[in-house]
Amino acid sequence: MLPLSIKDDEYKPTKYNLLLKLSGWFRSILADKTSRNLFFFLCLNLSFAFVELTYGIWSNSLGLISDSFHMFFDCTALLAGLAASVISRWRSNDSFSYGYVRAEVLAGFVNGLFLIFTAFFIFSEGVERALEPPDVHHERLLPVSVAGLLVNLVGIFAFQHGGHGHSHGEGDHGHSHSLFNGSTSHGHSHGGHHHHDKHADWHSHGGHEEPHYNDELQHLPGKGSSKQILQGVLLHIIADTLGSVGVIISALLMQKYDLMIADPICSMLIAILIGVSVVPLLKESIGILMQRTPFSLDHALPECYQRVQQLQGVYNLQEPHFWTLCTDVYIGTLKLLVAPDADTRWILSQTHHIFTQAGVRQLYVQIDTAAM
Amino acid sequence: MEEKYSSNVLSGGQLGMVEVPDSRLTRYIVLLVISKVLKALGIFESYDILKVVHIVQFIFILKLGSAVFLLFFQKPFSSGKVISKRQWIKLLKHAVFSCVISLLGFFGLTLCGPLRTLLLFEHSDVVVIALLGVLFTNSGGGPSKTRGAAFFIIAVICLLLFDNDDLMAKMAEHPEGHHDSALTHFLYTVISFLGVADHKGGVVLLVASLCLKVGFHTASRKLSVEIGGAKRLYALDNLVSAMVLLPWVIVLSATTESKVESWSSLVLPFGMIIFSVTILEFYVEAICSTKMETPRCARYGALALFFSALLLANFWTHPLTDQLRSMSKPAHHGSTEHVLSGGVLVSAIFFIMSSNILSSPSKKGQKGTLVGYSPEGTPLYNFMGDALQHTSQSLPRFIKDSLKQILEEYDSRQIFYFLCLNLAFTFVELFYGVWTNSLGLISDGFHMLFDCSALVLGLFAALMTRWKATRIFSYGYGRVEILSGFINGLFLMVIAFFVFMESVTRLLDPPNINTDMLTPVSVGGLLVNLVGICAFSHAHSHGGKSCSSHEHGHSHHGHSHSEHSHGGHGHSHGGHGHGGHGGHGHSHGSGGMNANMRGVFLHVLADTLGSVGVIISTILIRQFGWLIADPICSLFIATLIFLSVIPLLKDACEVLLLRTPPEHEKDLNNALEKIEKIEGVLSYRDPHFWRHSANMIAGTIHLQVMSDVVEQRIIQQVTAILKEAGVNNLSVQVEKEAYFQHMSGLSTGFHEVLAMTQQMESMKYLNDGTCIM
Repeated sequence: MLPLSIKDDEYKPTKYNLLLKLSGWFRSILADKTSRNLFFFLCLNLSFAFVELTYGIWSNSLGLISDSFHMFFDCTALLAGLAASVISRWRSNDSFSYGYVRAEVLAGFVNGLFLIFTAFFIFSEGVERALEPPDVHHERLLPVSVAGLLVNLVGIFAFQHGGHGHSHGEGDHGHSHSLFNGSTSHGHSHGGHHHHDKHADWHSHGGHEEPHYNDELQHLPGKGSSKQILQGVLLHIIADTLGSVGVIISALLMQKYDLMIADPICSMLIAILIGVSVVPLLKESIGILMQRTPFSLDHALPECYQRVQQLQGVYNLQEPHFWTLCTDVYIGTLKLLVAPDADTRWILSQTHHIFTQAGVRQLYVQIDTAAM
Repeated sequence: MEEKYSSNVLSGGQLGMVEVPDSRLTRYIVLLVISKVLKALGIFESYDILKVVHIVQFIFILKLGSAVFLLFFQKPFSSGKVISKRQWIKLLKHAVFSCVISLLGFFGLTLCGPLRTLLLFEHSDVVVIALLGVLFTNSGGGPSKTRGAAFFIIAVICLLLFDNDDLMAKMAEHPEGHHDSALTHFLYTVISFLGVADHKGGVVLLVASLCLKVGFHTASRKLSVEIGGAKRLYALDNLVSAMVLLPWVIVLSATTESKVESWSSLVLPFGMIIFSVTILEFYVEAICSTKMETPRCARYGALALFFSALLLANFWTHPLTDQLRSMSKPAHHGSTEHVLSGGVLVSAIFFIMSSNILSSPSKKGQKGTLVGYSPEGTPLYNFMGDALQHTSQSLPRFIKDSLKQILEEYDSRQIFYFLCLNLAFTFVELFYGVWTNSLGLISDGFHMLFDCSALVLGLFAALMTRWKATRIFSYGYGRVEILSGFINGLFLMVIAFFVFMESVTRLLDPPNINTDMLTPVSVGGLLVNLVGICAFSHAHSHGGKSCSSHEHGHSHHGHSHSEHSHGGHGHSHGGHGHGGHGGHGHSHGSGGMNANMRGVFLHVLADTLGSVGVIISTILIRQFGWLIADPICSLFIATLIFLSVIPLLKDACEVLLLRTPPEHEKDLNNALEKIEKIEGVLSYRDPHFWRHSANMIAGTIHLQVMSDVVEQRIIQQVTAILKEAGVNNLSVQVEKEAYFQHMSGLSTGFHEVLAMTQQMESMKYLNDGTCIM
């Protein structure tokens, strides 16, 4: 009477010692391109923060110390992204039957929330300062913010580069995507087509790594990096960069023209920018977490229902639930009420066929026979 | 619901009246906006001129100038039919009325200043008629119109009461002597008879003359048909009213000496005013209302006018503009400008909103509800419910409804009461802080306000959880409470992190804290939060005992009891759920304490800990002078918050990651074993079970069965077994061998099949030329 488990927990060693665990994590980080990028950037950020901290303690400047703590806080976003990109590659087990792929959505959500939170604080600070501009010591400000800007620029470059590195494959996938969306006449109305394209090549890139033994799990886990994490992290870095740019501009303005109001106005603008840019990410990830019907299927599904209901012997279609597991993996369940003499196997395979065309990778169809 | 259906399925689903897209009307809109901006400019200019020119003279010049222009353009005598004597008499009456109205309007302008005049007087007829319709008839046109009317009235009241224009007080001090004619004197006495300050009198005057103007416009419609067109009427009217005013002006200029130094310097501004205020605006409005619908025209016009008025009011007295206008401006009276006060700003915003609402056409009968699809695939709409539909939801009703919903259930009621308490405390604090001008209290009040946002979030989530499932959110909104708990937990983490950082910096460098104000406030906060803790922990224990047995029993056990005789199992499960986790309250999720309530509870707990810490550290600092006590306390509290949030976050994460619910895991494993032992079942595949919300566990499973069994019976058995294990939203896919072969064939070539079908789809799409959907 022992519970049977087919899947071994290769990626979740429980009894090994810490060193092995760490090295395993390290290897899995380096295995994937996105997580490698994230990791290097995290290291860069952390080292910058440590340099800043030690220099701050050495020169006893409170501003530098608090700035370095801020940097540490920023690093948590990267850390969350990194952790998610590692976790999402864990195999599914008995408890997490879908695997950990949702971690990426969660990470994107958390990053978005943090960004909103920071934007809010920056905004309130800006309002406070606009009412009574404090004396900002701008002599130390400029070098630190320029250095921060440089670090962040490296980050943006790294992630952009990541996107470009695969651009040879982009044409094909991008094309198929647009065709795919063209039939649904919805396409690019939800938040940026380029994300789709970018995702497409990440997706295809990760797809070769693991041997597949289950025909349906093939599309599920192990894509490592994806849109949500990347988007969240990229947004975070862009926000930081914007922040540094704002600080530099306002420092220059203050030095040259003594415009004390420049600082709060800059920070308010940046806060608004951050807030606006985060909203789509948050909206999408909340939609996924709440098991919303996928945006891209919104228009395709009624047609599919239509076609299923026209199959011979199908009386009715009940309780259709479609949701997104992680980026581009859609799961659906529905119940069909069929005539007593209908060919259920044919109906089942046809239904699967119809929804596979719409992009639903995993479908559960329960066939109920109508009472005579 | 109706919104969702119509907006998602067929691009808005609006049928009936077709709205012309804005892009085709861009030319006219731009023209309209430009003319309105010029008009605002003209009104501002005429306010300046009215300071030196007598009002009757001013109107006479205005009428005469525009009459000359219009005679030139419109040629009312040489074209059209001949006007009879009776029509001339009517025209005379019309002209007298229009003179009176423009007198009143411009007198109001001298009283209130240009901005207020523009806000009050320049409303389109559509807006005013809609307003009057709401105020004086029963069928106003739905709650949105009522709201618009309310906004309008609020705006007028704002202008009347909250417009602290100190210039006005100054002008009111010398009402006599300033006036230089019988007419203005008469009007002043009328206003002072009303017993209000004269700029408020101006507001009242303007509102009255606005109503008069609209009535006059409506009445003159018949005359304009008789005469032969509104333009001809306008031209003739200007001419006649200039002639009516002529004797008065002659008498006036004979009896009083003019203040104007040189009339020649006024030619340019007069020309500009005549052009912008009377002629251009009239023509553009006429064109626009034929090209667009009148309401839309009114909406854009009002928006442009108000915004440009606000901008002008801000920059009119600016030194730069003074420089620009130096040649056109005859005499500057120093400080006699009307300042832009907060009351005016607020009322301007309200005016903009109200004109926007009032001029929007009523949507009645334009929207159908999507019912479904016909066999051909065309969408079907239902227009039957129109009589029952509301154009928009009325605000009071909305508040009433949501209050009712809030008070309906235990959780949301608790949160709501506590929120009220918290808000009351906050406002008392803020009010007291503003009164005594203590910055500490004010900032603390704002902090409290921020805390309230967590409560609001919780309340909203508790409400949203009960929304019905829609087509888009097919599982319902139950997950909102988990998300809200998660967000609350995250925020607490962030707060704890910041407190930690702050206290570390303070530990290195303890600042001097002013302890005088702290104690009463923090004791008050502590009391409020203690009440909250009592309420929520009451909910907690309550949930553990009776609420859980209610909800829980209702949703799971009730079913399993009634459908099967496995009562013992159900009981043991319940016992397991509570016993195993020792009433810790976190793992039995379903029913009692959900993630949302836990998040709110933790937030309140953190606040309480904060106040306790502040009190303790204050006492320590006062008694012993230990400045270090404060950072240590906050360190301690931050750690406590951090530790208490972790389980909540862990649970929420697990749910969001679609983990198999841990408290049902054992049952589910047993159930799966049982399923395998059902006769005819070969094996199962891909069992997925996950908690969607507090009282819903969804599951999916594939079953491979032998080819000779009755599928229906197996489905029923499996459903029953899993339902007993707690899964209440299940779909079972039964597969026989043939299907499996087919699907595996399909799956190996998945990408190829996908590409092929996509190509076919796109071909079809292109050939048809139109979208099928």
